[in-house]
Amino acid sequence: MKVDFWGQEFEANMFVGCIGGFLIAIMSSMFGFGGGPFMVPLMTLGLRLPMYIVVGSSLLAIFFNTAMGTMRHYQFGNFDLILFLVMFPAAILGGYIGPKIAKKLSPVMVKRVACAGLIILGTKLLGLF
Amino acid sequence: MNIKFRVLPIMALAMVLLFAPPTRAEQAAVEAAGADANAPTINLDKTSLDNGGDFVISGKAPAGSKVYIELWSAEKTVKANRFDGKKDPKTGIIPYKFYITKDMPAFYKIVAPVEMAGAIDKAKAAGKSWKYSEVLKEIGADAAYTVPAKIQIDNYQATIMASILGSRGTLLPPMDEKASKRESMKLVKTRFVSVGNLLSAKVETAPDGSYSAKVSIRSGLAPGKYSARVTAVTERIKEGDKETVKKVTSEVASFENKIAFPTVYLSTAGTSINILWPFLLASAVTIFGVLMGAGGGFILNPLLIMFFPLPHTVVAGTVMPTVLFAQGTGIMNYSKIKFINWKLGCSIGCAMLVGGFIGPKLTEMITLDQFKFLFGWVLLILAALMFWQTTPGYLANNKKEQAILKEFKKRAAEAAKAKG
Repeated sequence: MKVDFWGQEFEANMFVGCIGGFLIAIMSSMFGFGGGPFMVPLMTLGLRLPMYIVVGSSLLAIFFNTAMGTMRHYQFGNFDLILFLVMFPAAILGGYIGPKIAKKLSPVMVKRVACAGLIILGTKLLGLF
Repeated sequence: MNIKFRVLPIMALAMVLLFAPPTRAEQAAVEAAGADANAPTINLDKTSLDNGGDFVISGKAPAGSKVYIELWSAEKTVKANRFDGKKDPKTGIIPYKFYITKDMPAFYKIVAPVEMAGAIDKAKAAGKSWKYSEVLKEIGADAAYTVPAKIQIDNYQATIMASILGSRGTLLPPMDEKASKRESMKLVKTRFVSVGNLLSAKVETAPDGSYSAKVSIRSGLAPGKYSARVTAVTERIKEGDKETVKKVTSEVASFENKIAFPTVYLSTAGTSINILWPFLLASAVTIFGVLMGAGGGFILNPLLIMFFPLPHTVVAGTVMPTVLFAQGTGIMNYSKIKFINWKLGCSIGCAMLVGGFIGPKLTEMITLDQFKFLFGWVLLILAALMFWQTTPGYLANNKKEQAILKEFKKRAAEAAKAKG
């Protein structure tokens, strides 16, 4: 498929994109997160698209998944209104404070911390310690 | 009916009558015994608890009997479901059955005599593979297991295809009482997970039959009316495979568990939590998520599961809509500066739509342990991705791209300005 972006044209392999998107969507809706950190590498590495196309468009793709996942979870009775009402303002607050701190921190450092945190969390979930 | 049992000449006939519908026969015995002069008495030293606490249940049961106390929340019920995908060792057939109930009491526990502590500890040591029905039988608490046995359970015949399409399968006719009771025990275990949540050995009995038990209700449980009923097992007669349990039951006593703001009851999750903690946790994680350039749901979910006694289905089902709005505003901001390729986003989005249809069904089918296991691996893969994004090669490339991105954003903003 040809992708047109600000006058530049890119060729994207939609077969890889759709299969990858489909699998990421199953996984992320199953565990209840957005899926952004998986979609961005898929589109940059798998589809060889430059970062500036990926940031916005991956968000749009994920939105489809989150909307459908939300609906299905609601249908299965997995949605708790009070918990949602607690976390929703927290998410808005985080979204407001986050960018202000982001300017002062090095993104590489943040990613290293995240990497360490994820390893700890992951091994803990696997029950390794 | 107990008396009839003693009259041996017609025992064979009585056996048939009693055991043809076994649970019903047992039920009849309970009701008959309820009016009995032998019936145990039950007294609670407190009728109201403040988000859990200790209280003493005491009374008098027939001398020499074993006393069990069944405790359950009478007002609040929760959903419990179980997917049976384990191969039957006898027939080699995988059942693919899905069981679900909405009537599971939000709290359920049987308090057994103190001398059963050994058997309960043994079950605890067995880890995750313990079997509720076996432990109940071993400590004799099966005689007191009545409330969940009566819940309505829907069973579905699932198929792989139906699961892929995101359906629960075909609704099967209701199970008979015996099968329903057996399945209810499995659902109880799926819902309450650990031995300690379901059983304790606290009842001390004096030789004259008076008993007392110090029961503690932990904090963070459902509020409202709770009920307690004492079952005293006077005799167990074993004849071949059949075991006859002679028991008398007390009346139902009740107490109230009160919670106050900021502790709030989450009805879908069936637990009460102090809402300040999830609020702080969610704020901290979303801030961190923004710094990382991601939503943060993949950190929030495992933390919520670890720190709070929430079912994984509820966590997944509630965090997802929270992210939805952040994504919506993100898309709006990007579309204002024309930074979204709609054709690309919608094409992949359609594939993701299908995936999003299937995923939540899978959440429902797996147990908490499987959820943790799979999530653990997902996080490790993610950690590898994060690490890759800090490698020098990636950074150099990223720097170039970020510069182009900035340039594009500037141009986009100018274009939007010129238009407006």
